Amino acid sequence: MGLIECRNICKSFGEKVALDNVSVDIPAGKIFGLLGPNGAGKTTLIRIVNRITIPNSGEVIFDGRPITQRDVERIGYLPEERGLYRKMEVGDQAMYLAQLKGMSARDAQRELKKWFVKFGIQDWWKKKVEELSKGMAQKVQFITTVVHKPALMILDEPFSGFDPVNTELIRKEILALKEEGATIILSTHNMESVEELCDNIALINKSRLVIDGGVDEIRHKYGNNNVELIYTGETPLQSVEGLYTVLSDQDDSGRHTAVLAVSGQASGNQVLSSVLGNGLTVNSFKELLPRMNDIFIKLVTEGE
Amino acid sequence: MNLHTVNIIIKREYLTRVKKKSFIITTFLVPLLFVVLCTLPTLIMTMAKEEAKKIAVVDKSGIVAPALENTATMSFTQYPDADPETIKSSLDSIGMDALLSISALDTVSRTVTATTYAAKPLGVDMTSDLERQINDAVEAYRISTYDIEGLKEIMAEVKPDVRLVSYKMDESGNETLNESGIYMFLSMVLGMIIYMFISMFCGMVMSSVIEEKSSRVVEVLVSSVKATELLFGKIIGVALVALTQFFMWIALTVIILAVIGGITGSGLAGLAGDPAQMTSMTSQIPGAAMPEMQDILDAAAPADSLSAANQAAPSTGAVILSTLSSVNYTQLIIVFVLFFVFGYLLYASLFAAIGSAVENEADSNQLVLPLTIPLMIGFFIAMFVYKSPDSGLVFWASMFPFTSPMVMLTRVLFGVSTWELVLSLVILILSFVGCAWISAKIYKIGILMFGKKTSFKDLWNWLKMK
Repeated sequence: MGLIECRNICKSFGEKVALDNVSVDIPAGKIFGLLGPNGAGKTTLIRIVNRITIPNSGEVIFDGRPITQRDVERIGYLPEERGLYRKMEVGDQAMYLAQLKGMSARDAQRELKKWFVKFGIQDWWKKKVEELSKGMAQKVQFITTVVHKPALMILDEPFSGFDPVNTELIRKEILALKEEGATIILSTHNMESVEELCDNIALINKSRLVIDGGVDEIRHKYGNNNVELIYTGETPLQSVEGLYTVLSDQDDSGRHTAVLAVSGQASGNQVLSSVLGNGLTVNSFKELLPRMNDIFIKLVTEGE
Repeated sequence: MNLHTVNIIIKREYLTRVKKKSFIITTFLVPLLFVVLCTLPTLIMTMAKEEAKKIAVVDKSGIVAPALENTATMSFTQYPDADPETIKSSLDSIGMDALLSISALDTVSRTVTATTYAAKPLGVDMTSDLERQINDAVEAYRISTYDIEGLKEIMAEVKPDVRLVSYKMDESGNETLNESGIYMFLSMVLGMIIYMFISMFCGMVMSSVIEEKSSRVVEVLVSSVKATELLFGKIIGVALVALTQFFMWIALTVIILAVIGGITGSGLAGLAGDPAQMTSMTSQIPGAAMPEMQDILDAAAPADSLSAANQAAPSTGAVILSTLSSVNYTQLIIVFVLFFVFGYLLYASLFAAIGSAVENEADSNQLVLPLTIPLMIGFFIAMFVYKSPDSGLVFWASMFPFTSPMVMLTRVLFGVSTWELVLSLVILILSFVGCAWISAKIYKIGILMFGKKTSFKDLWNWLKMK
């Protein structure tokens, strides 16, 4: 049972169809990657979950019942296009946004101070937003997204604009929030972070849902049964009919890195014992899963 | 609508504005400027009086010089046989400021030509005073040449000196003295203030909407609150700023006038223009703008009109005072506040809708035209209401919601029946409700639209969107 279920969402702006009958189930307590090329309809879907936009048809189920305006207090949203009031002081601004999410002034003050200390930015409280650098403002905005302890967080490209140190900081915070039981929708073009962070994904292309499911499941599904073998030996490995074909073999002064295409019925064990029969020393034997990046490109270009 | 969140929005919109330096400065400076402008003429007059000009007179005709009388601003010295050219070149050395040279009498046209020379030109008042004195002298000369007995007295008697004295009657038949010049002045000031307030604060709403959109903060906001809550929170917050400023201005003006009145005893003298006649009344004058002082002024007014009835022509000061006191300030302030609030709401919601459709202020120029034009027309009609407060054009303009705030407010001074006020207000409120509904629809879509420049056709399409 998901925290959020989108059922048959359709949305069009005038003639332009933004979402065409999209249904996704976002499980509770997991990180859900929302993928798709630019203009696919991701932002529209996010706005529908946020109740910024109302769909033409279909419904959003939040925690087992149709979503209401009150539920937005349990959602935290970090839009891709960041923005804060430039002339407002950081502290006032964070307090304002927290109170709009239903926090009392006292709670907001207490929780914000905690986060400011955690991020080491206590000195910024009285600064104006226009005095901050882009990265600094991003940090403040991240805090305002999560300060009210939302059950659902929607983070659109959360790492953009951060240096590697701060990227790591934000990555750790996202994982910590997941540990605490939050559900996170992560929309990003960075496929490495999808592989690393996401449990499930949905790929939207041209207003339609192309694929959804667990990340591992999808990688296996699009995998081509290749393995990577690193071994040490005098002679290079040869293909064995019915078991495997050697696709490539790189010899680095006796240490070989080979990619094997495993034949249809052969198991990993059969392949490995056959390899060992050649009198080699095996250093590493690992399944080669396709990168999310390749799957993304494959699915998106196929649709064209 | 969630009132709690709307309250939070109102609070932010209000506080960020009243804390601004520019707001604090205008709030304190404008009443000060107003008082200075009102008292300036008196100040200038008293200061101008101190330096009377010494004028050398060379009169070749012999009829003007004897008739010249020294005034507070001019003192004449005769140089009966001097050459004007010599005097002209030696004005400084003989300690004179100016030379008045009168030609010999022209026997055909029976008149003289008069010329003045001065390093520093004589003021307008002085010049007209001089002209009057010279004309009087020539007139006296001509009268004397007719050789008719008692002609001078007959002429004096023939010359009429009629001044129109106007009384305003209210429903209970009370008559109060009034001067339409004062009403003209007041109605123009009121029309200007309400026009300024509406355009200034609606502009504020629009630029604030544009700011939120272009800084992209709006997307975070509408993920927490409904777009309509944001829209109305902002409009109400700015309205409260406007009302704060308005009441601060009234309070500060009254305080400043009271302080000045207390110190110098010349209060609003500048408005009246004649300090001498005002001195007896000064204690009441600072209250002119204050509803609580109404009773005192009302008490003063009938006394004036009574004495005015006995005399042929009441003094200017009395007329001005009576006119100012005949204005029902309580009614005026209530009407101002009501028509400002709903006129502002009507325009502000539409300005906000336009603001939501553009990404920077420059792009809004074309789209706001349909709003600024009726606003300007209302302003111009309001400026001419005093000419015919009950004409058809003025009546309809005071009913049409886009001009009524300005026009009705200026009409009120000249007396408007209650049903007209109520009808106009009801039309205004209903129009506001309709426009707010339209604006909210456009606003909701507009704030999230980026990229393409918006046209009127786009706005129309957004309006039709579900």
